[in-house]
Parts: sequence; C-alpha cells; structure tokens
Amino acid sequence: MSLNSKDIAFNRFGYGRVFNQPDQEPSDPSEWLISQLKPINLDSQLTGSYASAINLNNSKEIIYQLGKFRQLTRRQQQSSSKSKKQNKKISKDQSNMMAEGSPQDKIKQSRRMLTKNAYSLQAHTLNNAITSNNSFQARLLDFFSNHFSVSATNINMRALAPTLEREAIAPYLSGYFANMLIAVEQHPAMLIYLNNVQSIGPRSTIGKRRGKGLNENLSREILELHTLGVNGGYTQNDVRELAMAITGWSVNYEGINNKTQSQRDAASDSFHFRDAAHEPGVRKILGKKYKQRNALQGVRILQDLAVHPSTANYMSHKIARHFIADDPDPDLVNAMSNAWLKTNGHIKSVLTVMIKHPASWSVNAEKYKTPRDFLISCVRACGSTKMADKQLLQSLKIMGQAPFNAGSPAGYDDTAETWNGPEALISRIEWVNKLSQAVNKSAIDIGETVIGESLTKQSRKIIQRAESRQQAIALLLLSPEFLHR
Amino acid sequence: MINRRKIIKLGATGWLLSHASPLAYANTPSARQPKIVWIVLRGAMDSLHAVVPTSDPDLKKHRADLINPIIKNVLPLNKDFSLHPELKTLHQWYQQKQMAPVVAVASHRTRSHFEAQDKLESGLTGTDYNDGWLARAFQSYQMHYQTSQQTTQKAEALAIARSIPLSLRGKLPVSTVYPSTLPDAEADLYDRLAQLYQDEPLLSERLQAGLNTRDMLSEDAKKSKRANFPKLAKMCGELLNQQKNTRCAMLEMSGWDTHNAQVNRLNRQFKTLDSGLKQLKQGLGKTWDDTIVVLATEFGRTVAINGSGGTDHGTGSALFLAGGCLNGGQVFGQWPGLSKSQLYQGRDLQPTSDTRSWLATILQQHWQLTHKELATVFPNINIINKQLIS
Repeated sequence: MSLNSKDIAFNRFGYGRVFNQPDQEPSDPSEWLISQLKPINLDSQLTGSYASAINLNNSKEIIYQLGKFRQLTRRQQQSSSKSKKQNKKISKDQSNMMAEGSPQDKIKQSRRMLTKNAYSLQAHTLNNAITSNNSFQARLLDFFSNHFSVSATNINMRALAPTLEREAIAPYLSGYFANMLIAVEQHPAMLIYLNNVQSIGPRSTIGKRRGKGLNENLSREILELHTLGVNGGYTQNDVRELAMAITGWSVNYEGINNKTQSQRDAASDSFHFRDAAHEPGVRKILGKKYKQRNALQGVRILQDLAVHPSTANYMSHKIARHFIADDPDPDLVNAMSNAWLKTNGHIKSVLTVMIKHPASWSVNAEKYKTPRDFLISCVRACGSTKMADKQLLQSLKIMGQAPFNAGSPAGYDDTAETWNGPEALISRIEWVNKLSQAVNKSAIDIGETVIGESLTKQSRKIIQRAESRQQAIALLLLSPEFLHR
Repeated sequence: MINRRKIIKLGATGWLLSHASPLAYANTPSARQPKIVWIVLRGAMDSLHAVVPTSDPDLKKHRADLINPIIKNVLPLNKDFSLHPELKTLHQWYQQKQMAPVVAVASHRTRSHFEAQDKLESGLTGTDYNDGWLARAFQSYQMHYQTSQQTTQKAEALAIARSIPLSLRGKLPVSTVYPSTLPDAEADLYDRLAQLYQDEPLLSERLQAGLNTRDMLSEDAKKSKRANFPKLAKMCGELLNQQKNTRCAMLEMSGWDTHNAQVNRLNRQFKTLDSGLKQLKQGLGKTWDDTIVVLATEFGRTVAINGSGGTDHGTGSALFLAGGCLNGGQVFGQWPGLSKSQLYQGRDLQPTSDTRSWLATILQQHWQLTHKELATVFPNINIINKQLIS
C-alpha cells in the first residue's frame, strides 16, 4: 500500500473523499489542511430536517427542560405516596389519571423529547463529518470531543452530553488549548458528569454548615486525562488542592430554572460560581501558589496546566497517535511538543507543525480505522447520505463506539489493538454486508475515487470477481486498503 | 455421584502415569480439566461495601451513612466480616466452601483507573505494558496442557468482549465473542474475504478466530439483543462447558466508580453481579467442579464517605475466589484495621498482601505452573503458603 499525498490528506487527516463530488481535489494538500484549522459553528448548520428535529441546541435550554422534567417526576412521586396512604377510593381516580395528559404521560413525553433531542444532536455532528468538505476539521472536533469524553449515564447526562462539543470544543478548535480547557471544565456536562457540582469545600460556608466535603473526581481527571497525563508529575496532594480550588464551580440552576424565556436568554451562562461552596484560602499546585479568592483561582491553575511541559508532551503524543500512527515518530511528537511550549498551546500552530512534518506523510497507512472513522468514511465513499439518524447511531453501537458511551472519562481508545479483535471484525463485516445492499454503484469506481492508486492488483482482482455488485462493495470496504488510513 | 467421580479421576491418573515419564506428571494430581475465569470489575468496586468488616470499631466513624442502610441485612461470613445483602449467591457458595474473599489486597499504589487497570491486568510494575498476566500464564499452561492431554491440539483462551482486553493480550491467539444484532453475512463473503486477506496475517487470523467462535454459539446467544453482565456470564459458562480445550475466559463488568449515591448504585451493581455469577455457574454445568473464578477490581475506595454520598479513589481492595474446586468457606488476608493511624496515607485501606501472590498461588495449584514459569508471569512475587485448591 503506497499512498500519494492527496490520498493521505483525505484519508489519514480527514474522513476520506465523498464519492461523485468532483471539485474536491486540492492543489496543495498541506495548505488545504491548514486552511481547515478554524472553529466550527455547528448551530449555523442546523438546517433541513435537523432544524425541526432539534428543539434544544444549547445547554441552558436543556437544563431548563431537565428542571421541568424533575419537577414532574417529583410531583408524581409525592402524589403517589400520598394516595397510597389514603384509602382505595382514590385508586379509581388514579386509574383515570393514566389516560392521556396524565402526569405519567407528561413525564414520558418529556423524557422522550429530551432523549430524541440528544440523539438528533449526536447524529447532527456525525452527519457534519459525513458531508463536510473539510473533514480534517470534523475529525479534529471528534478527537477533542473524545479527549474530553463524557458519558450518557442517566437522563441528565444523556440530554447534556452532546452540548459539550458544540459549546466548549467546536468554537475553540484552532485557538489556545487553555481556552478550550476552561470552557470544558466549566461546562455543565463536565461539571455534572465528574460530580463537581457536589464537591463542597470543607471550610466553605456550606461545608461548615452541613458537614459536607470534597469530591476529587473532576480534579483527578483534569490532571490525569485532560492535561498532564498520568505520569505528568503530580501527586495526591495536587489532586486535593485542585479539587479545593474548583469547589463552587457549578451549574447556573438559579438563572435558568423557573425563569421565562427572556430571563433565561439574559442569564449569561450555564456556568455558575457558588461562592458559599468554595474552599477559602491559598492553594499550592505543582509548587506554585494561587491566592485568588473566587473562580479565577481555578482558571489560573488551568491556564498554567495547559502550557505545562507534561501537557505539551502528552497532548502532542495523543494528537499524533490519533492522526498519524499508534506509535508515532518521536521526532514528530518532539516538534509538536516544542511548538506547544513556544506558542503557549496554540492548537493551530501545533497542528501546522504536524501537517508539515515528513513523518506525517509516510506512505504506509498505519492507522486501523476506529468504528466511528470506518462508518463515516464508508458512508462518504458510497456517496450515500440516505442513512437515517437512527441507523447511523445504531451502527456505531453495534460496532462498539456509540457516541457518549465510552463509559469512562478516558474516552474511547485510539489504537488498533482495541478495535481489530476477531469479534470486532465480524461485526464490521456484518454491518458492511447490510450497508452494501443499499449501494447501487460500481465498486471499482468507488475504489478508484476513494482509495486511488493504492488499491492493490490483488484486491482489484477479487473485487472484480465478486458474484454481485453488492458483494463487490462489501469486499472493497473491507479491503485492507480501506480498513487502514 | 461424588464417589463415582473420584474413581474416574483416579483411573485417569493411573492411565496418564503409565504412559508418561513420572517427572513430567509429578505435579498432576488428577484428570481435572482445570479452567480459570478472570472477572475484572472496572471502575473500582468499593470493597468495604462488599465485604463489610462488621466488627471493626472504626467502620461507622468513617462511613455511617453508607453502612447504616445495609447493616441489618448483611450476610455474615464469620465473626468479623459479612457480605452485602445482595451478594446472595456468593454467600451461598461461601457456606458450601466454594467461595473465599481475600481482604486488603493491592498490586500497586496508583489511584488512576486506567493506569491501575493496566497494572492489574499486566501484572507488572513498569509503565510499558505489551501483554497481560493471564496471557503469559496461559502460554506456560499450554505446555502442561499438551503434555497432560497427550495431544498436539492447543488449549484455547476466550474473552467475552468486542476486543481483547489487556489481561489476555500476548503471543497466543485469543477468541473474542460478543452478542450481535445483525444478520450473518453469507458464507461466500467470508470465503472471499479470506482470499482478500491472504497477504495480511493479522486480518486473516482475526477473521478465522471470529468465525470459529461464532460457529460455537447457540442460536439463542447469537440473537440475544442486550449484552448485560448476567447474559454475558451465562454465555461464558456455556462456551467453557462445551469446549473442553478452552481453559481460560475473561469477563468484565463496569459501573463501579461510585463517587456519589453509592448506597443505591451498589445495591443495583451487586444484584447484577450476583445474578451474573449464578448464571455463570449454571452455564458451566459440571465444568464448575474444575473451575476457579477470580474477581478483582483495580483499587479500593476511600474509607471515609465523601461530600456526595460516595467514595473517592483509594488503595486496598478485595478479591473474590470461587469455584467447585476451591478450598473456600474462609476469609483470607490479614485485616489491617481502620483507625486513622492504620490507614494508608491516612485515608485508604492499607493493603496487607499483593493481589498477584494470590493469582500466582492459584496458577501454581490449579494449572501446576512451576516457580520458573510463575516468575515469567509475575516477576518477584511470593507464593501464599495456603492450600487454595481442594
């Protein structure tokens, strides 16, 4: 498998060519990639069917609806426990209440609306990657979304998870990592997922009154997963200090719940700093003192963490591993890491170094596609965007990479070992087998477009001998050339 | 029934001895078909909530709100320890001397989930993990298997997962199996794929392994739509029971990272876990008598309750050993105590033995691994001087 640089720009950096879209060839692959390094505004692309399917496209409105949902369920629990205490006369009324418009019905509707909205948001991002002319940019969004992984563990998280990448990642894709980091750690999805809303400074006003205490979860993952990396040189004491510094980082329930639409619009942010839960005092992290008295304390720490040499190295390695190879060239990682330090973690500058480095253009396709990668590139290759949202998401679930379902804040693994097991291959084959039934194109045409010169003679021969057009498509999409990038 | 089984065992041993050099079989006690099921509980199960040290005077000082809701219904093991009320199957096995918890264990001192899981699964202390302890142990066992069975056929390893977990990654091929909701592709497509992969050894091997396992699944298991732990455990048991030469299997269960609302969450988790273990035994059928099940988690949790009704990342945890041939019905491990000065770094349960010592002892007594072989599985780890296998 030897690749030319245009093929590499499409397949390794992006999600591959879209079939039957002739004007996509760039004259200069590197410049074309660099030109894609800008923020994404997903909301501006809420058109067509998504405009109607997505009622709630931001965390403020979702928090508001979750608040209403909670009220409904609470009221229902109260009334059912009350009626249990009273005698049987009421049970007749209760059975009438089961009819349409009953509280149970409203709860069901509300839950269904929130869930449907969340799936539509997930599918919208996925479709953006499938249809984008700048699929390198779309892949970059997916990379950071997985770096700051949140999981849909309950109705609150299911509803909120898809807003994290829209609000805290997509707008910051080409700027300073510190800004993305702060936006993510102050986003309600992250604050709720890693329990920071429940973390209370032991000596804060609330802590002293209620005897409640710290929750280290978010702090630990910031250090271990989001910035320095597990061997980044921090101690248990640093974890505790950072946890205390970000006590009070919470969600703006007061500015959102029980408010009118215009009041909610006026509430500036879904982040809220609860002074009464914040641990007072100076914090010392990695040997440096932070004297600020409010949310700024945590912000300053995050700003320093974002440009720490361990972060530069850990992030550069992780980015190179995602785009280029499971075991990336040390010289490439070094060059990126140096750029990180020199530019204070400027993402565009670091990625430009990666794009211009010769190791990134190795003719060997070393990355085995993850299921998400594979699905997006398959649909692009077949030039078919007819797959329904539900099918797209179901496909990812079957292949083991449902959005917001990594089940751990480390996100989905990014190396071949995780995805190339026997069972994973069989599910991929079954999925492609089904997909190919709906594709009415010539496999060789698709192969020449999306794989290009690297389609081997051997593969071409086997595809041409297939017993049906569908089988030929399946063989093409399962060829070693297409499984790797 | 029992007598008959014993006679068969003795008969088989005699046959083996008469056909092979005594040296090679000095360690083979019987014609047992020893199997190991390794279950990793991901997310760090709170061991103090599973094996409750009821007699420790400091327990309630640290975590009254976690203990009070369950204390009335805990299932007693001995005068010092009880099991969580939902662990009914484990309790029953304990009474039948087929289960034994090991308290206060650890194999490392990290509080990161991912690093800790890597260390638990690799069984090593460094930071570079290319293979898992079970894979290395299985490679040594392979030789014992081939000589004891007088065969060139290979023993097999199985992971109930979409991809091979680190514990089983190594030099030998491992089958993976996981329920799928898609229809099978036609056999012809697989044949052509085998051609397409003829110059790609890794893809060919994965394809073959995937197809082999698929063939063995019952129609029922293939169609099973939701992959919850009890279903996966049952599937695991059934496959081990059907395939005589599959000698080790791995299962995983996640959802243990209880930073908040721990009481309710662990009620549910333990219930699911316990029902899965029951299913596993059912699936194993008679094979249960030759099986050792080991359950482990990456680390323990803080002894004290945190600010949100949960616990944070800690150190010492517990192991569960079970199986038809376990010398169970006792609580292993030395209890370090829970007073502030007895805690590790003033916050966690102090580990008093290394998880890997217990694993090594099982490997020695169940798979007959030699000291030299054990040193390749767990370098510098001591064996526990106890009879764990009956």
